Amino acid sequence: MESLEMRGKNVKEAIELALEQLGREREEVEITVVRESKSGILGIGSEEAIVKVTPIDQTETSEDESVGVARDATLEILQYMEVSASVDIEPPVPGEMPGVILNIIGDDMGILIGRRGQTLSSLQQVVRLIVSHRLKTWVPLNLDVEGYRKRRYASLKILAKHLGEQVLETGKSVTLEPMPSNERRIVHMALADFPGVTTVSVGEGEGRKVIISLKKK
Amino acid sequence: MKELVEYIAKSIVDAPDQVIVTETTEEGVVTIKLEVAPEDKGRVIGKQGRVAQAMRTLIRVMAVRKGTRAQLEIV
Repeated sequence: MESLEMRGKNVKEAIELALEQLGREREEVEITVVRESKSGILGIGSEEAIVKVTPIDQTETSEDESVGVARDATLEILQYMEVSASVDIEPPVPGEMPGVILNIIGDDMGILIGRRGQTLSSLQQVVRLIVSHRLKTWVPLNLDVEGYRKRRYASLKILAKHLGEQVLETGKSVTLEPMPSNERRIVHMALADFPGVTTVSVGEGEGRKVIISLKKK
Repeated sequence: MKELVEYIAKSIVDAPDQVIVTETTEEGVVTIKLEVAPEDKGRVIGKQGRVAQAMRTLIRVMAVRKGTRAQLEIV
């Protein structure tokens, strides 16, 4: 956001005017005093105060910071794991998981994905924990490896829609194979606005799976 | 493998100076012992043991690549 220069009888008044014009609180801006006011004699030689007020975009700052912390933590873990890789930052995808995506890129990435993405989930969990511990706040962020999740989510969405239509046609419920929570969420979300069908998760732990069935009228 | 556990543990506890990690190898099995301050034990174990499980998954990946087996003990 752009900064604003404001004049006033004194510094205090200039700041107040600037905050009013920006619609911000004192804590949400950075203030630089460009010139202090001078009173002069009988108004002769007096000068108004000038301040420069710059709004701080708090959410943006903390998001940038969290992404940096997350990227550093990821790279550090990979280094200890003796995996040479780099990290690309990608924007959140609407209708998928909230938060930016840190996509790990390198050779021999299969080991970082693991069976049903388990290694990737572990990596993500540790990185999230480090970030939230360091910043003392929970930040939504996601890890991916060579776009594995991106592709997986895309095919899950197609599968979900396809099975939704099948349920509508046959009237019979369909049970999907067991999936981790992030993938179940993608299926639920893909069918949230799909008319006539409803989704529910059943089972425990690794065996938890989604059932798609006709919505009862 | 010790360094990985040490880095993760120190990054998630309140008392990183009390994190002690040792690594021993016996009959081809690497055992990593992680010791933290009593107040931090819950952090490195996590709800339903999830954090410990995640660390185990990561060291298992390393072990497989090195052609050995590894286990993590939290004491």
